[in-house]
Amino acid sequence: MPGIWIFAERKDLALELLTIARGLASQAGMKVTAIVPDQGDQADIYIAGGADEILLLSALGEDMSLDAWIPVIAAEAKKADPDLILLAATARGKDFAARLAARLETGLCSNCIALNREEDGTIVMERLAYGGAAVQQVSCLTRPVMATIPPRTFAPAPADHGRSGEIRKLPPPPSSPVRVIARKTKERSSQDITEAKAVICVGRGMAKQADINIARQLADLIEGEVGCTRPISEELHWLPDDLCIGLSGVQVKPDLYIGLGVSGQIQHVTGIRGARVICAVNKDENAPIFQAADLGIVGDLYDVTPNLVEELQKATSR
Amino acid sequence: MPNIVACFKWVIDEAYIRKSASGALDFSAVDYKISDYDRNAIEEAARLKGLHGGSVTVLTAGAPETAKGVKDALSRGADQAFFANDASFNQLESSQTAAILGEIIRSRIPYDLIICGEGSSDQYAQQVGPRLAENLGIPCISYVQKLTIGEDGRIMVERRVEEGVEVVEAPLPVLVTVSPEINTPRIPGVKDTLMASKKPVVTIKKEEMQAVGAARLQTIGMTATRMERNCEIFAATPEGIARFVEALQKKGVIS
Amino acid sequence: MDFKLTEEQELIRKNMREFADKYVEPIAVEIDENSRHPAEVFKKLAEGDWMGIPIPTEYGGAGSDYLTHILAIEELSRSCASTGFTVSIHVGIACMLVLLNGTEEQKQQYLLPMAKGEKLGAFVLTEPGAGTDVMAATTTAVLDGDSYVLNGTKTFTSNGPTGDVYMVFAWTDKAAGRKGMSCFIIPKGTAGMTAGTHFRKMGLRSSQTSEMVFKDCRVPKANLLGKEGAGLVMAMAGFDHGRVGIAAQCIGIIQAALDESIRYSKERVQFGNPISKNQAISWMIADMATELSAARFLTYHAAWLKDQKQNFSKEAAMAKLFASEAAMRHTIKAVQIHGGYGYCKGAKVERLMRDAKITEIYEGTSEAQRMVISGNVLR
Repeated sequence: MPGIWIFAERKDLALELLTIARGLASQAGMKVTAIVPDQGDQADIYIAGGADEILLLSALGEDMSLDAWIPVIAAEAKKADPDLILLAATARGKDFAARLAARLETGLCSNCIALNREEDGTIVMERLAYGGAAVQQVSCLTRPVMATIPPRTFAPAPADHGRSGEIRKLPPPPSSPVRVIARKTKERSSQDITEAKAVICVGRGMAKQADINIARQLADLIEGEVGCTRPISEELHWLPDDLCIGLSGVQVKPDLYIGLGVSGQIQHVTGIRGARVICAVNKDENAPIFQAADLGIVGDLYDVTPNLVEELQKATSR
Repeated sequence: MPNIVACFKWVIDEAYIRKSASGALDFSAVDYKISDYDRNAIEEAARLKGLHGGSVTVLTAGAPETAKGVKDALSRGADQAFFANDASFNQLESSQTAAILGEIIRSRIPYDLIICGEGSSDQYAQQVGPRLAENLGIPCISYVQKLTIGEDGRIMVERRVEEGVEVVEAPLPVLVTVSPEINTPRIPGVKDTLMASKKPVVTIKKEEMQAVGAARLQTIGMTATRMERNCEIFAATPEGIARFVEALQKKGVIS
Repeated sequence: MDFKLTEEQELIRKNMREFADKYVEPIAVEIDENSRHPAEVFKKLAEGDWMGIPIPTEYGGAGSDYLTHILAIEELSRSCASTGFTVSIHVGIACMLVLLNGTEEQKQQYLLPMAKGEKLGAFVLTEPGAGTDVMAATTTAVLDGDSYVLNGTKTFTSNGPTGDVYMVFAWTDKAAGRKGMSCFIIPKGTAGMTAGTHFRKMGLRSSQTSEMVFKDCRVPKANLLGKEGAGLVMAMAGFDHGRVGIAAQCIGIIQAALDESIRYSKERVQFGNPISKNQAISWMIADMATELSAARFLTYHAAWLKDQKQNFSKEAAMAKLFASEAAMRHTIKAVQIHGGYGYCKGAKVERLMRDAKITEIYEGTSEAQRMVISGNVLR
């Protein structure tokens, strides 16, 4: 029976994909299949999360990379002919998806941010183009429909422990000429801004690195984290890459976002669209950030921020 | 001495896209550029040629105005260019682009290493590189930040993954997609640009290729992003900032 | 009629814009403040063949045309008018003088390293008592055996303290009048030639300007450029080339003033609105944009005539006259638009205004340009 397949390298990502899969499957009466690494009893978690079938991938050798599984999954997909395959848009996932799509001779919607099933069964997918300036809507003319979904676009599927599903093991991967000879874990910043309830973002309006302390002070006050725009991390190296918010950085969904000297280039704004309240301090009243913001102060961040800190201290101590 | 192919796309410089009052995208005053990360791809090819000798071929598929982009690419250290040229080629979907590039490489360009940018500045679908590798049946290593070619004809690369970096090794021929961290693209000098016009360019018309397959993805709509929220502006005065803080409290985002 | 640049010209302009944004704009304030010659930038300019664009490749240049050189000066001057000018006088006057008048040996020995950007050229004509009135010069060159001996004092020599190759004008036969002046190529280090300390100027501060003193400075006969007595004619032709470069420098200045004014007027809020909504401001900007276009067309046309090997003396003077006066007018307006902020150090328009003033003065004052133009049209 055809249906919806999901594949992700990590549990949190797989559960997010299951949210979408379960939503669509319930509309169309389709089966949901999760393809996941064979790691102990995790299959039950995916079944509780909405999978009807689990295809387990045998563990990879130390020197094998994720893409060794591509031929295994491609062969299985050719047999089963699913309607839709969803993957997580991580670096590995995007590479994996494009190559799988090539093998299945089908289209792939990269970085899909919304996915809807029309009455005639067509899946309409949305993605951003031109650095986030445009929303592109696409449909796929071939089978299966494929999409990669950026992490944290959807909430993880809640567990329903009453569900049941089948579990099946897939054959081991063939040998690959690509060998992983080392893995270096990057030093993460102390806090994960993707999980923060409040994010203070510094942009080009910040004149020097030391001034980031101004943002830090504000962040400490409201128990938030400091993030930045791409020029701050990539060009100036004032903050590490994993604090860079935007299309090619991380997407954040805090309750409160405050941009200090952030102009609001579309590539950045794309990364904060999920924030509940967006605030901006910028001296350019025409800065695009104000169009994306709920509350704004037109003024020099160097004048405004100390006052803001003071007012917040008053307010929070009341 | 490796034969290196660097693929690039001539794209609209998104800095020139304006949004009209109606919310439609206004492309009337746009300029074009070599897609940002493709500049890194060409630079890496030129850098490797500097180290190991061999040749650098740049390859693109595009509409006739891409001819300027071909010159731009040739001014960045390439020896020759192949240009699949057709008015319809500004609307190619990743699978079609990969098929066109694959056919040209297979039939006309000897190669050891193919370098693509990790994604294009306009669509950022990040598919052409991996699809091209599949098309050619060679290994693909994506998001490469560092690349070395060993004596033994194998390459060793560092690629970016979520948790950090994977150091990966593969035999040539191989395709890599590169991230901006890999190098700093040069600014071509005057002579580089002038000499680019004298380098060989093989232009391939649509009719000279096997039928370009139909697009697999169909664009149904393209609209300017609506991010607008109703921004309430506060004055940068002590009173204004006090009211701003009150507004934050009303919205329940500070306690 | 064809107003289109070639693909190469468009790409070269774009590359220079990127170069200027990356290497020049970030240091422009500092080199102005410290009156510093940015040797590191000139090294990079040399690497990119920007120091000899219209000079044939066999003499170390890029082998392109004059219009392309003009586009580069324009884009460079947009970030820093001083840097743009230093390149302009080096290429437009020093290199062109040798290219047009030098012997093969002189071209190999002096033009080649200059066009490669290894050596910087300077033009040594003005004297304390002889500005527009060149005939009032007093520096002499007397033939003594196989060499000329120069004596005299020159002033306002651009690239004086930093130059490597000097084009020096002196009387070989004062009695012969306009046919009595000659030009000598004098390399740095020649005994008897000393550069004074550089002047503290109002603007164009990173361009190095000084006196040049000649005291029994002995120069071999082989260093006579062109024929004896042909100096004045060569200097005037050099000015024709240089003036198109100054006009390009002015276009860069006006473009920068316009960019800054547009940005600031949209940012600055007074009476509840950005000041760009005020007609008083928006009309200033309209005039600025209009005269920028006019200056640009005059300048490109003069360069185009040069590339077509046509006479462009009048057009060069017109371009220089109009562009320099427009630069002065509109940088003053740009400071006005910026109000008090524009009058403070660090505001780009403040520097632009100071830099603009000299363009009405050097390489022929506005008055001298009007003499050239009226002389041409009243003939």
